[in-house]
Amino acid sequence: MRENYTYVVLADDDEDDRLFFTEAFDELKMKTKVDIYKDGVDLMNALNQSESTLPNILFLDLNMPMKSGLECLTEIKSNPRFKDIAIAIYSTSASEEDIEDTFVSGANIYIKKPNDFKVLKKILSDVVTMNWQYHTSGLNKDNFLLRL
Amino acid sequence: MKIFIKFDFTQICTRVIDEKLEELGIKYRMLNFGEIEFLEDVPSDKLKAFDLILREYGIEKIENQKVILVQKIKDTIIEMVLNTDDTVNVKSSVYLSEKLGHSYGYLSNVFSEVTYTSIENFIILQRIEHAKSLMINTDLSLTEIAFRLQYSSVAHLSTQFKNTTGITPTTFQRIIAKRRALSDNKN
Amino acid sequence: MTMKFKSLYNSERFLKIIFGLSLFIVLVMGGLAYRYIKELSDSFDEVQEAYQLHIELEKLLSALKDAESGKRGYIISKDSTFLEPLWVSGSELDLSLQRLKALTQGNPDQEEKIADLEIKIDNSLRIFEKTLQLAQKNEIESAEFISAFKEGRQNMNSVRFKVLEITTHESDLLGTKKERSSKSLSNAPMVVYYVLIFSLLILLLIYLQISKNLKILKEKNELLETFKESTTQSEIISKHGNWIWNIDDNTFEYSDNLYRLLGEEPQSFEPTLENFIAFTHPEDLDKLTEQVNKMMENEDLPFIHYRIIQKSGSIKHFKAYGKVLIDSDGHKKLLGTTADITDEIENYRLIEERNLELERNNKELASFNYVASHDLQEPLRKIQTFISRLEDKEQENLTDNGKLYIKRIKSSSARMRSLIDDLLQFSRTNKSEEAFEDSNINILLETAKHDLVEIISDTRARISSDSIPSMKVIPFQIKQLFSNLISNSLKYRRENVAPVISIRYSETHASEVPNLKYSKHSRYHTITIKDNGIGFDQEYAEQIFTLFSRLHNKNEYSGTGIGLSICKKIVENHNGYITAEGYPNQGSTFIVYLPITS
Repeated sequence: MRENYTYVVLADDDEDDRLFFTEAFDELKMKTKVDIYKDGVDLMNALNQSESTLPNILFLDLNMPMKSGLECLTEIKSNPRFKDIAIAIYSTSASEEDIEDTFVSGANIYIKKPNDFKVLKKILSDVVTMNWQYHTSGLNKDNFLLRL
Repeated sequence: MKIFIKFDFTQICTRVIDEKLEELGIKYRMLNFGEIEFLEDVPSDKLKAFDLILREYGIEKIENQKVILVQKIKDTIIEMVLNTDDTVNVKSSVYLSEKLGHSYGYLSNVFSEVTYTSIENFIILQRIEHAKSLMINTDLSLTEIAFRLQYSSVAHLSTQFKNTTGITPTTFQRIIAKRRALSDNKN
Repeated sequence: MTMKFKSLYNSERFLKIIFGLSLFIVLVMGGLAYRYIKELSDSFDEVQEAYQLHIELEKLLSALKDAESGKRGYIISKDSTFLEPLWVSGSELDLSLQRLKALTQGNPDQEEKIADLEIKIDNSLRIFEKTLQLAQKNEIESAEFISAFKEGRQNMNSVRFKVLEITTHESDLLGTKKERSSKSLSNAPMVVYYVLIFSLLILLLIYLQISKNLKILKEKNELLETFKESTTQSEIISKHGNWIWNIDDNTFEYSDNLYRLLGEEPQSFEPTLENFIAFTHPEDLDKLTEQVNKMMENEDLPFIHYRIIQKSGSIKHFKAYGKVLIDSDGHKKLLGTTADITDEIENYRLIEERNLELERNNKELASFNYVASHDLQEPLRKIQTFISRLEDKEQENLTDNGKLYIKRIKSSSARMRSLIDDLLQFSRTNKSEEAFEDSNINILLETAKHDLVEIISDTRARISSDSIPSMKVIPFQIKQLFSNLISNSLKYRRENVAPVISIRYSETHASEVPNLKYSKHSRYHTITIKDNGIGFDQEYAEQIFTLFSRLHNKNEYSGTGIGLSICKKIVENHNGYITAEGYPNQGSTFIVYLPITS
């Protein structure tokens, strides 16, 4: 790791979910930096700035207006510049097929938004830890698939 | 066109360090992976130069002793997972404390302090990762992989796989196969 | 070989050959008979001739005798009347000789003898003359007379001898002829008889053959009649009509039912193309005309489809097809069949409509599914998360009542969560979306147990299971099945009794299970999940699988009434069958049958 913290970005159109997300990371006391975008268009605009710092983990809500999480995912996966970003789909429940499809399209992590804040904290902590493991232990990132 | 390659980080790193140290004219000895012993006193400017050169390759000199220990623990675990033959019937905790000369309690404390995870979890993660690479790179069946990684049954492997990754081994295989088919189609 | 012969025997050709042959034989035999009869009449003529010869000779002789005796009388009495027969016999002799000559013509032997006889007769006549002259001169006593007299007697004897000779010769001739002709004559009636018998035989044979052929013809005719009747019947039943287009003279024949299909009385109008086309639906007229023209051109009619309008106004859909046939006389015909497929089309349209309706319903269900999955879940999730935040952060600021309310809200939202989750699962248990794959069932069972690990350890349940062979299933559904059945057993456990669940595997033949008797699979994987829970009354065994049916108050047991319905749906998705047996306060057993596919 170049920096000694994990840079986390979330794109979600739901205000409450954004709140839960930031609060969870605040309480986690991990070495993380969190940025929030309120939709897919905003996110992609920010990422596509050439001098932008790229996140270590990108959390994508699937159901967003204008540009859905899946569209962002395909866009990110088609750009080699973003190849090191771990993509976490962060969504309300979906069918098994939909979940599998996001993995096939290149997502590394699928998170079903939990209904308990403690669970959310646990999940986010697991994600960051696991991502860090992949980074520091020389694991093959192509095999990084995690469902929580 | 697209090809799949496998690479050995250890070999790459060792090669880079070999070359650079030779360039600087430093006499050294490679102990374990990630541990270098200089055979003579090295001037601080040479050491700094070496540090800068290696940084270009993403290799960093570890200052903290705890971090060094954690790295050693990790190396031992990886070695343990890969060479399953030697460790038959030996508990990993016993093996680790014998090999690194510290009590297991100490090791596990240091490990979780530095990595935010336990040694047990790391061992499981390593075994699952190894299972993944066997699934992808070999024709071994799940039963054979479970046997090779010393799981008591396929069910045991599957359960642990599911616990660690949230998906079943079969789903994992299917996703990887579909990804390959997808990228083959694109090219 | 015998077949060939038999067919030859039965054929018309054979009949012709027999007839020709017999005609020939009868002709030959008739000829033979004619020849015999001719011979008979010939020999009769010969006899007649011989007889006449005989009479002529007798006459000749008696004339000579008359002359002789007349002469003698005259010599004795000198009465010239005695000489009268002498004159008469003179001319008679000539006549007789002439007749004899005629009779013996063609027979040189006899001719010679007759000539000889003539000389002798002439001689005796000359002697008569001489003696008569001498007698007139009364020189009876003269030596000359006596010598002449003697000579006359001598000559007379030689005539008599000659006559005898001729008669004998003629008799001999007649004798040989008679012998010959009698031989052939005795054969003649036989031949005639044989001809008659043979002709009769042939006549009989031909009669037999013809009557046999007639019988066959009659049978065939009857068969044809039956066939025609059954065709007519099948035409009516299957709503089709037949027609023939005689290509050579461009005429049409329509079957009765074709008229009926058009809503008309059979044969009520002339079967012409124009009359038929007049019924065609105006929108299909061009198409049909074109197809008919093509038919005329190609002498072939592929399947065509068009509509007609009956006089009553009802529209019918017709389908037609035709094929060229060349009959034994070389006439070309196009045999056509026209079927009324209105019902078919109507049914098809109905099914299509139903399908559309079903599709619409499914879409509605799917969108409901989406609403349930996403839109309903999201606010609930937030409520729950906010409650968890309240519990964590604001616990101290709440009164005891506040804490109680929070607790109640929490349990209510938890129940809503499980309802939504279960409903979602139920509507997601759709077969069409899922792919069957070879799966290790033991792993699926393990995974299911793992999902329930907390409640299993909380209730200190013991779960034992047989090794189950691999099956081709929808993996996550089977995992769901195990998970639901096990959690059902754990949920309805007896108070203060640690749950014991045993999962057994066996193979069952379809015939052993009443509800599988008529299934298309013969063998079934049988998985039995048996527990020691509260069980249920057997009379509810069916009811427990229906959606939202619960046997217990929701305060006693926290079921949604969906879990077992999901189980049933999953098993049905796999073409299987699930059944339950309950024993109140002893436990319940769920049996899952899944077909063994090879």
